[in-house]
Amino acid sequence: MESVPLQPGDWAFVLGNWPVLAQGLYVTVLLTVGSLLLGFLAGFPAGAVEVYGAGPLRSVVRGAGVLLRGTPIVVLIVLFFFGAPWPDLGGLPLGGWLLVPRFDVNGRALLAATTALGLRSAAYQSQVFRGAIRSIDEGQMEAARAINLSTFQAVRHVVLPQALRRSIPGFQNEFTIVLKDTSIAIAIGLGELLFQGRQLFLQPGQSAVVEVVFVISAVYFVLTFATNRTLDLVERRYAIPEEST
Amino acid sequence: MSRLLEFDGVYKAFGDEEVLEGVGFGMDRTDVEVVVGPSGSGKSTLLRCVNRLTEIDDGDIYLDGDSVHGMDVDSLRRRVGMVFQGVNLFAHRTALGNVTLGLRQVRGMSKAEAREAAESNLARVGLADQADSYPAELSGGQKQRVGIARALAMEPELLLFDEPTSALDPELIGEVLEVMQDLADDGMTMLVVTHEMGFARSVADTLTFLDGGRVVERGPPDRLFERPERKRTDQFLGRLDA
Repeated sequence: MESVPLQPGDWAFVLGNWPVLAQGLYVTVLLTVGSLLLGFLAGFPAGAVEVYGAGPLRSVVRGAGVLLRGTPIVVLIVLFFFGAPWPDLGGLPLGGWLLVPRFDVNGRALLAATTALGLRSAAYQSQVFRGAIRSIDEGQMEAARAINLSTFQAVRHVVLPQALRRSIPGFQNEFTIVLKDTSIAIAIGLGELLFQGRQLFLQPGQSAVVEVVFVISAVYFVLTFATNRTLDLVERRYAIPEEST
Repeated sequence: MSRLLEFDGVYKAFGDEEVLEGVGFGMDRTDVEVVVGPSGSGKSTLLRCVNRLTEIDDGDIYLDGDSVHGMDVDSLRRRVGMVFQGVNLFAHRTALGNVTLGLRQVRGMSKAEAREAAESNLARVGLADQADSYPAELSGGQKQRVGIARALAMEPELLLFDEPTSALDPELIGEVLEVMQDLADDGMTMLVVTHEMGFARSVADTLTFLDGGRVVERGPPDRLFERPERKRTDQFLGRLDA
């Protein structure tokens, strides 16, 4: 059958199957949040270690960062799926609220994709932090030490609050990248948004490829746009009055 | 009774460059000691050695009879405050927040106690009305006065001033010097590195002229300005005073 794009019937097909895409969206959001959280929890200390750490610890952190940043994400995901000794988690029951029907997702695939995306994000987030910490004037630390704060107190109360604020624009990038890269989990058959979309247009006799991809793109766009605007607000909310020059 | 601060043959080199070549003098409680000298004479380094932001290579520095190197660096800095040329106010905290940080974290005050103490110290430098301003909203002179309040709040026995007015516009220097003069009148013990000869002459109990990492001449400021014993002192002070 000839595939003619943008036919009314194809749009009806996509919209009629919205629960399939909603399930994909559910997994995509879960994967994004999980990866960014892991990325923050590992990347934030890693950035601090790269600035303040010494010896073997810093070498290990640096080395891991170089490896993770130097490997294609699809390779990482496949590697973590087939190469890591995860227990067989079977099907993980998800959904069942907010109009999303209950469904099962491959637990091992979700864990592998979260780990791969999370660790790679940590490797990038650590660089955002490292740069932000380095950008804080050395005099801030000196003044903190002069009023007798310990190094830890100085970092905690003087350097980090300023560095975190300066990290927000870098985070915005990272959020966007991680969100879009969750689609690469299609390589290990995880039922995220793109995978679910493909399930739709691969149904026999379907011609709604362009329509499905269009809807999916729109969903990604809305998510990135909303997240970035939210972070803009956060940045403004916590902005330090700047020196006007 | 031992002197509050005593430099004894203090020697410091950065690599091959000798910055302090055996500096020795002392000061007592309530003294205001001003150190002057050309750029590179080692005067800022001398100051930073007192609270061990810089460590000396030889000789010793005594605080109330005890070597600062035998002291825990925390208890040392608890006793010796410092005001910087670059001010270095914490950019993310208000004027009040700059002063309360040390009170809360180091002196362990409650929030209310710290606030009260910080407000009284800001009032002491004439900035009670700027408590809620961020550093970027203050003028250079106001910033430096907050820096002084921040150091004062820790109730140091000795306050070090490292060129506190050198980074300020000329019209903002006066307000900072006035605050320093008030502190001196209140009996604060101060070791001041500055290029402000007028201040040195009118406020210092003792003036030390440092050049090439050595004390060239030391004495009451009037004598050094009017009847210096060394030619180098005359050259330096005479040129600046003219």
